Amino acid sequence: MTDQYDIVIIGCGVIGSSIAYHLSEYKQKRILVIDKGFPLSGTSGSTQAWVWVHNKVPKWYGELSMYSAELYPFLERKIGDVEYKRTGGIAPFFAQTDRDKALRLVEEQAEVGIKVEVLTRDQVLEKEPALSPKIAGATYSDMDGNVNPFRLVELYIKAAKRNEVEFSFYNPVIEMVMEKDHYKIYTKNKKDAITTERVILAGGPWSKEIGELLGLDIPIKQVRGQVIITEPLAPFLKHTIGGMRQAENGEVLIGFSKEEVGYDRRTTMDVIQETAQMAINYIPSLAKANIVRSFSGVRVIPEDGFPILGKIPDKKNAYIAAMHSGVTLSPLVGTLMAELVMEGETSICLERYSLKRFMNYA
Amino acid sequence: MKTDVLIIGGGPAGLNAAIETASRGIKTIIIEESYALGGQLKQQTQFFNNLPKQFDRQRGIHLMRTLIDRLSPLPVTCLLKHKMIGVYKDGRIGIANDTETFPIDAKKVIVTTGAAEETDLFPGWTLPGVMTVGAAQILINRERVLPGKNALIVGLNSFSAEVTKQLKACGINILGVIDKNVSVNDKKLVDGLEDKKIRVMVNTVIERATGAGEVEKVTINNDGKKEDLDIDLICIGKGLSPILEPLEILDCEFGFQAKLGGLVPKYYSTLGTSNPSVYVAGNAAGITCLGGILVTAEIAALNALKALGVLNDNEAKISSSFLWDELRSMESEESIETFIARVAHIKEFHEECELPLPASFHAILEGC
Amino acid sequence: MDKSTIVCRCEEINVDEIEGAIRMGASTFDDIKRLTRCGMGPCQSKICMNLVRELIANNLGVSISEIPPPRMRMPLKITRLGILAGKTSSSNVVSVFDEASLEAGER
Repeated sequence: MTDQYDIVIIGCGVIGSSIAYHLSEYKQKRILVIDKGFPLSGTSGSTQAWVWVHNKVPKWYGELSMYSAELYPFLERKIGDVEYKRTGGIAPFFAQTDRDKALRLVEEQAEVGIKVEVLTRDQVLEKEPALSPKIAGATYSDMDGNVNPFRLVELYIKAAKRNEVEFSFYNPVIEMVMEKDHYKIYTKNKKDAITTERVILAGGPWSKEIGELLGLDIPIKQVRGQVIITEPLAPFLKHTIGGMRQAENGEVLIGFSKEEVGYDRRTTMDVIQETAQMAINYIPSLAKANIVRSFSGVRVIPEDGFPILGKIPDKKNAYIAAMHSGVTLSPLVGTLMAELVMEGETSICLERYSLKRFMNYA
Repeated sequence: MKTDVLIIGGGPAGLNAAIETASRGIKTIIIEESYALGGQLKQQTQFFNNLPKQFDRQRGIHLMRTLIDRLSPLPVTCLLKHKMIGVYKDGRIGIANDTETFPIDAKKVIVTTGAAEETDLFPGWTLPGVMTVGAAQILINRERVLPGKNALIVGLNSFSAEVTKQLKACGINILGVIDKNVSVNDKKLVDGLEDKKIRVMVNTVIERATGAGEVEKVTINNDGKKEDLDIDLICIGKGLSPILEPLEILDCEFGFQAKLGGLVPKYYSTLGTSNPSVYVAGNAAGITCLGGILVTAEIAALNALKALGVLNDNEAKISSSFLWDELRSMESEESIETFIARVAHIKEFHEECELPLPASFHAILEGC
Repeated sequence: MDKSTIVCRCEEINVDEIEGAIRMGASTFDDIKRLTRCGMGPCQSKICMNLVRELIANNLGVSISEIPPPRMRMPLKITRLGILAGKTSSSNVVSVFDEASLEAGER
């Protein structure tokens, strides 16, 4: 029977493909990844792709982000060059009164070993001379960086394929039936059901819709972000700046917006113009740069902001991974979810990330 | 900035649409990206015989003058060196010039962005010295620059044949006009070129173009027989396709009609698109002849006027029947297939929207 | 045709790279764009759009009419950031620092 698997992962974004790859390292299970579209056509392909740690609060969430960021160099040795760069991250502020907030952040993050500094204006300008002298200061950490999200997802998939994971693209899941010891999954392109012992939901912004197929209410919001991109410029930004970064080819990606408009991937002149103004506030000389294009992506934001990870309560052999900052968290989430599925326990406790926390309210 | 009608593109379609709306006293703005109105007419020195009744037979550059002269006494604002770059959340159009970006709030938008020339894929097509026939025509007629001495033309159609003759008249040696098709339907085109001692080769493609820093040599393949030619200019005449970008960000839907240039915005018999405030005309509404460009602009303008309440139903109906007859006669003169494809395109969209075609359109359908 | 023939001249992407993406399952221009950067350069796919659509159609054995166009991006024409910048602001656009401290405050 060709349509029988041990594990089916629904969603082939950065999280689904990372889990598939990390599971495939065990080389024990027959794994299928299904996606309604093509890899990178959704959230994972429309991101600034920071690997961002330093102002993730509270500290336990910061800690999770830090461990994941630290896995990147090892990940690259296994799957190839994903253009990961630990550039250091700068989050500027413009009011002196923000300095107290910044100092509190330093204290909180220090408790878990995340080294954050508060920089004065002069220190900021020494690190990044292009930034505006109107900046009052910034928080800074050398843990932050960025990655090429296109390479990242592509290489997760290619590495998983080498370990014999199968993929089915342009194939939306339309029905899921839980039977005694397996799941039946009906998809658009196959007449017969795909059967699997275990199922992992990694639908990103579509988690709510996929959850409904199992009668679940997955509490996530869809939040649009619009990003504008300059022509390639000579390298002038060394760090990942909160809101912008310069990619390896010289383009600067700029984005600060958050809008709850459902799954609407359009961009609007309103936000593009505001984003351009914000960019000039940060880096006045960017006014001379040409903007070539814009794009938007729809973030996945769980109701309380934190990842939803682990076994789905009351559903045998069903798992979920839905979160914001999937690029930052993908190496660790892939590792931990694979541990959970293969060994039944994880090297970092995922208890507080369980979907259960939302079910208690109901 | 507020207006009744905003026209995107100041070529022949945009100018003619503006004449229609502004002559009714309707506030009209034309956005034109370049330094001057006229669009591609700026370098069209060829003679056009097949024009709507209100125009004498004349050269393209003269027609441009005629259109601008008719427009100038009318209440039209022409924003030169202004480009449409986007759309605001509330539907206003984002316009940028050399100093700022600002919105225009228009009741109706007529998109007359024209067409882009298609390129052809062969090894060496990116070398300097390889250009479209339209680019070569701009160089000789507008910039007064000879693009080369020895030329090969790829793709045979009425436009590439016309430009070939103009290039030859400038003293450029034409080594041949090649076309990948086995036969050319339009024998007149071939005869017209052969009369001028220009070699026409069908069933022929470019194998590769080579050169150090610029194109110097081309290998053509005529049904398996290869031939090397020393050239310094390759002009590609692969045809045109409608410019769609403004329509796409205005949420207009597209359909496919090979005879209209591929992807074309869907539109009703009014030339209104799936966005209720957006009309389309000229080559942006499907590749056609100059007469077709001018008449579609009138049809779109007429229906925008009707939607604005400027024309009553009866006036609109009479003018509309007349214009559709005129469009058929214009397009039949060049290629009836264009008209048939356009009518099929409209019928499909009406059926998709379950919107009956106007009674006056039934006669047109039967004619096809 | 020689597989090293350039298709997207802005980003210098050749036939081989595009066919590689098609072999991976890409079936639209945008699928290929994200894997190869084809069409992401200054002309924003205005030149290569139909060349790529034709390659997809030929490789998949379908009509070009079935291959959708790439998504068009604002600004439709290259525009300087300083000319683009707006004078108004709304709560939709916030700095990363404010965002983080806001989240901390909420919890």
